[in-house]
Amino acid sequence: MNFDYLRQKRFLLVDDEQELLDMVVSILNEDGFQNIQTAKTVKEAIAISETWHPEIAILDVMLPDGSGFNLMEKLKSTSDYPVLFLTARGEDEDKFRGFGLGADDYMVKPFLPKELLFRVNAILRRSYKDENPLVKLQNSEIDFDRAEIIKNGEHIPLTAKEYDILAALYRNAGRIVTIDALCEAAWGDNPFGYENSLMAHIRRIREKIETNPSHPVSLITIKGLGYKLIVEGK
Amino acid sequence: MKSVPKLIRRFVGIMLLSSILLIILNFILLAVYTVSQAPNAYPWKTAEEVADNLLQNENGYSLSEDASLELKNSNAWAIFIDNKTMQVVWQTTNLPETIPMSYSVSDIASLTRGYIDGYPTFTGEAENGLVVLGYPKDSFWKHMWPSWDYNLIANLPKTVLFALAVNTALIFIIYLFANSKLLISVKPIVSGIQALSTNEAVHIREKGLLSELAVNINKTSDILQTQNRQLRKKETARANWIAGVSHDIRTPLSMVMGYAGQLENDKRLPEDDRQKAMVIVKQSKRMRNLINDLNLASKLEYNMQPINPKKENMVAIVRQIVVDFINMDIDDKHPIEWNTDETLTVCSVNADKELIRRAVSNLIQNSINHNEQGCKIYVNITAENDKCTVTVADDGVGTTDEQIERLNNSPHYMVCDENTSEQRHGLGLLIVKQIVAAHGGITGIGHSSYGGFSVKLIFPVTYADK
Repeated sequence: MNFDYLRQKRFLLVDDEQELLDMVVSILNEDGFQNIQTAKTVKEAIAISETWHPEIAILDVMLPDGSGFNLMEKLKSTSDYPVLFLTARGEDEDKFRGFGLGADDYMVKPFLPKELLFRVNAILRRSYKDENPLVKLQNSEIDFDRAEIIKNGEHIPLTAKEYDILAALYRNAGRIVTIDALCEAAWGDNPFGYENSLMAHIRRIREKIETNPSHPVSLITIKGLGYKLIVEGK
Repeated sequence: MKSVPKLIRRFVGIMLLSSILLIILNFILLAVYTVSQAPNAYPWKTAEEVADNLLQNENGYSLSEDASLELKNSNAWAIFIDNKTMQVVWQTTNLPETIPMSYSVSDIASLTRGYIDGYPTFTGEAENGLVVLGYPKDSFWKHMWPSWDYNLIANLPKTVLFALAVNTALIFIIYLFANSKLLISVKPIVSGIQALSTNEAVHIREKGLLSELAVNINKTSDILQTQNRQLRKKETARANWIAGVSHDIRTPLSMVMGYAGQLENDKRLPEDDRQKAMVIVKQSKRMRNLINDLNLASKLEYNMQPINPKKENMVAIVRQIVVDFINMDIDDKHPIEWNTDETLTVCSVNADKELIRRAVSNLIQNSINHNEQGCKIYVNITAENDKCTVTVADDGVGTTDEQIERLNNSPHYMVCDENTSEQRHGLGLLIVKQIVAAHGGITGIGHSSYGGFSVKLIFPVTYADK
């Protein structure tokens, strides 16, 4: 499987409820993640982090001996790996605080297994995309590490904008990414008026990744809304 | 603060009017009195009459009957002084003994101006001499000296007007001086009452003429502030309570949802059991939406939800919501159609992105919830006349005119203090209305042209694009 290397990532789960930990573990296991350690307190979490070096953490905000935000700061100070917050506090304030401190994502309980898995996979793909040997498409492969497309044994380089757009599509592989989100990925905040440029870039990406750019099979247009990247083996 | 000048104007008006009225009244009284005093000239007239009626005959002089009677009635005496001899040549019988019988020119001048031996005397000119009437002592007060500068009399109208003006000004100044204290003490009271009506805390100086009123206003303000604080405290407590309950439900519901979600997708389970798990998932999702809505609705209702508006592109926000629904939708029963004109890429609205997301998501979720058998959902944005309109419509079951009327106009049970057993619709639309209202927009609920339900959210556009 194309994403196998992500399934090997080491997970640290921190929540004060054993039953919730069990459930999250079972959800992750079912999706193929096996390297998971759990902790119920800040102290335990720090101890595990120091000896076991997790590669992604899922943290509760309210822990018996401190807040998840403080825990994240401590974890990130030793080693920079992505953090997903899982909390029962849905207030926006917390949300901004979490992101302000460098959280990678934030989920409010309750959640469905597929919602959690989508977020986890998106974070992992974003954080460790350079480790990915190759992303397999139907007619070509993307090498994000070298920023090039391999089609029929030919290496075609990607421009910076094409790379940004493809990366945003790949993070959400199999899902629609809006025109606005793609413009933002390529041109930054308030990307008004770049819709035509985006269409031009999409056309050029298709020429690189598709066998027949007029009938795309990997980079699909969803009329009026956005684009979807179909990745093989997903 | 318009009322104080108004008050002063009114006071001054009344004062001026009353002084003018008083002056006019005085003039009238004076005139009436003077007219009634006019007969006072009668001693002179009587003297003239007596002089006319004093007839010379062979025995000397005699007075007519009428004239004698008149003299008698007024208890007066009379003498006739001859021009040539300066002697009294005729007299009435009641002449007091002290009256001299011969007169010099200076005596005549003196008696004309004044008195003879204390008797006020009046003269009347006859053919050959002077008739002198003498009235009882102390019956008249004679003043024969007044004389005025000619100019004074000539300028009298001007002088009177000037005096009147000076008087009025004087009265005005006295009035202002006397009332300035009152006006000064009224001013803070007026502003205090005005502040009370806007629910501000008021504390005015408890001094001056109206200190008692000031004390009462301060007390009222204190009571109002205390009540406000208590009300606020109660509202905060209620919102916190709702937040607490929704927080406490989240963790157990996670477990229900998580495991049900796993069972739903567990291929080893028989189809029946997976169907059951699917129902649990669906109902859990409903509960999750309810918790989110309840919390937000109570916060919006009690103004505890911070609204952070920024210039946002409504097209981008709504497009993302639609894509999120499409990305998350597992069944194909509720396809969403993006109906927006492709040339409309930006529609700037000053908005809180998260809240707008909630409002539009609620509308799409509403269409899904109310159409179990499936329906097509149409999302559309138009920008016209400085208005950005987001429409979420469906071709589902829709609702009755009556229900639409009620959704548009009656208060929701959460914000209504009447008996509400009849109108238990969900919180979804309430939140939508609250959010749209907080953004200065309008919510319009109606029938959709596709046959189902339709909700329009109309927001004011911040400024022209591009």
